[in-house]
Amino acid sequence: MHEKFFSFLGDNLQLFLTYTGLYNATPGHFIMIAVGLLFIFLAIKYEFEPMLLIPIGFGILIGNVPFKDAGLQIGIYEQGSVLNILYQGVTSGWYPPLIFLGIGAMTDFSALISNPKLMLIGAAAQFGIFGAYTIALLSGFEPNQAGAIGIIGGADGPTAIFLSSKLAPELMGAIAISAYSYMALVPIIQPPFMRLFTTKKERLIRMKPPRVVSSTEKIIFPIIGLLLTCFLVPSGLPLLGMLFFGNLLKESGVTRRLAETARGPLIDTITILLGVTVGASTQATQFLTFNSIKIFGLGAMSFVIATSAGVLFVKFFNLFLKKGNKINPLIGNAGVSAVPDSARISQIVGLEYDPGNYLLMHAMGPNVAGVIGSAVAAGILLGFLV
Amino acid sequence: MNRIRIITGIAACLALMLVQSAQKVQAQRTTSMRINEALVINEDNYVDDYGRRGGWVELYNTSANVVNIAGCFLTDDINEPKKYPIPKGDVLTKISPRQHILFWADSMAWHGTFHLNFRFQPDKSNFIALFDSDGKTLIDSVTVPAGQIPDVSYGLEVDGGLKWTSFAKVTPSTNNLTLDKNEKIENFKQNDAKGIGMTLTAMGVVFLGLILLYLIFKFVANMAIHLTKLRSKRAAGDASTDSGDISGEVLAAISTALYELNEDVHDIERTVLTIQKVRRTYSPWSSKIYSLREIPRK
Repeated sequence: MHEKFFSFLGDNLQLFLTYTGLYNATPGHFIMIAVGLLFIFLAIKYEFEPMLLIPIGFGILIGNVPFKDAGLQIGIYEQGSVLNILYQGVTSGWYPPLIFLGIGAMTDFSALISNPKLMLIGAAAQFGIFGAYTIALLSGFEPNQAGAIGIIGGADGPTAIFLSSKLAPELMGAIAISAYSYMALVPIIQPPFMRLFTTKKERLIRMKPPRVVSSTEKIIFPIIGLLLTCFLVPSGLPLLGMLFFGNLLKESGVTRRLAETARGPLIDTITILLGVTVGASTQATQFLTFNSIKIFGLGAMSFVIATSAGVLFVKFFNLFLKKGNKINPLIGNAGVSAVPDSARISQIVGLEYDPGNYLLMHAMGPNVAGVIGSAVAAGILLGFLV
Repeated sequence: MNRIRIITGIAACLALMLVQSAQKVQAQRTTSMRINEALVINEDNYVDDYGRRGGWVELYNTSANVVNIAGCFLTDDINEPKKYPIPKGDVLTKISPRQHILFWADSMAWHGTFHLNFRFQPDKSNFIALFDSDGKTLIDSVTVPAGQIPDVSYGLEVDGGLKWTSFAKVTPSTNNLTLDKNEKIENFKQNDAKGIGMTLTAMGVVFLGLILLYLIFKFVANMAIHLTKLRSKRAAGDASTDSGDISGEVLAAISTALYELNEDVHDIERTVLTIQKVRRTYSPWSSKIYSLREIPRK
């Protein structure tokens, strides 16, 4: 009798062991857990995009706790599991437009409206997307996959997730992680190329202070911006529609509560859900592939191309501008839409050469134009490749 | 008077938009159904649930919405549009986006919703029409020419397209044109392997969009500056005043000075220092500050 009972206990214990994480772990799981820990470390120690890297890093830990595939509905890829339900906001692409709503409600387009020619820098920086698209094609990716990878160069996490969920869902985890990682690493990636392509004289250019923009202009901007960009590229509607809608909530002056919700609790909630589910989607079994490594390489290239294109475009543009109206090429990097980090880099590098030259406000122009530009570019890729 | 005109104008625009949107909504309803394929002579082909062979007609939902065709009419006689009323209450009459539904033209309506009360004439041309639930609005019609070959169907080359053709391989309830690849992607692979075409086109569109925005806002900025000058002239009565010439640094210095001045100015207020908990029956739902009736801030 006792023997039977002990044998039953032994069998149960053995069965339990097969369910543990340790039993099901592979080296890949430990590599991914190390990546997650690195993200958390970078976020806490160096404050690299902590709002993104903490949820993503912790999400990686959640997604890489190994378990037995016994239909317990716990994994993010198991239909009906809690994580899977939360992940649907990513796969169906409705988290990114909500994030754009919040971004619109917190973005001040004054710098752009006061000096609208800065919009062109935001357009030039989109060369990063198409440079990476070309290299991805040459690396053997299909055009739809290349489009999804190229959008990393837009330096816009929600746009990258939105587009990759439509064009190449199988690569979305790697693309999202790559986009957010490089956005966090903007302070390391951009300055060397900003210095490489500018002369000392150019770095010292002082720009005219931006004029004061009236509230009417600020109200008109999202309306015209929406109609113009979306009539041109309707496939950008989900992102651009929400971006400009959020901005109108902010600028109209009569929907303060809605604007505060959009830029506060709403965007925070969605950022948490987006970050943690994107992180959790990087299960080692799905994520650790040679393609992911290639995507990381291409992502880095796209940031370099975007930064260089922005800076070089300003230098080219300066050839046509009068002496007093020249633009400091150090704000060219801000066309990469990592808001506001890339604008901050312009300011920091600018101050290194002239402690009295404050470029932040000027850099915010191409920075927010970059958001519009990357959303338009995403719309074009979506229209062409779906 | 002006206000009345503006309100009338806005009302007219809204009415126009409503009419247009109603038409658009209609477009996503039964009107988006198309007759897609028909087989007149079925000798050795698709069989129905009763194991019988007969002619059939396939409808296709061209919209991105679910369309319920219950209550619509199918007929083979233009003078009798209500010949076969598609029964209501059958969940299968709800057609998913870009999906097909098949009706058997076997004159055996008692076999169920998808069996018509007429059959095709093998030796003549056959007219087929789909009418909306009012029995008057013709949604789509086609005349299948006479002389049809057995087991060869007559259908649209591409689902929901325009050009009719014959299909030696019939495709009941599936796409007429079977795509195993994404044509757009294949096109890019063949004609733009290095992505130069995509780069040029896409960057052209991005630049075009932002250049248009630039031009519009350059115009808006000029207008705004002009209006500001006019207003300041009116306010000060002095044509030489031009606030646009004041630099940001000066404005910042003035603002800081005003801020510091205001910070130093305090009213003497009656205050009570207490360790008692102050009770306030406050809720954002009842707050006047956050009320929906709050007067808009300019």
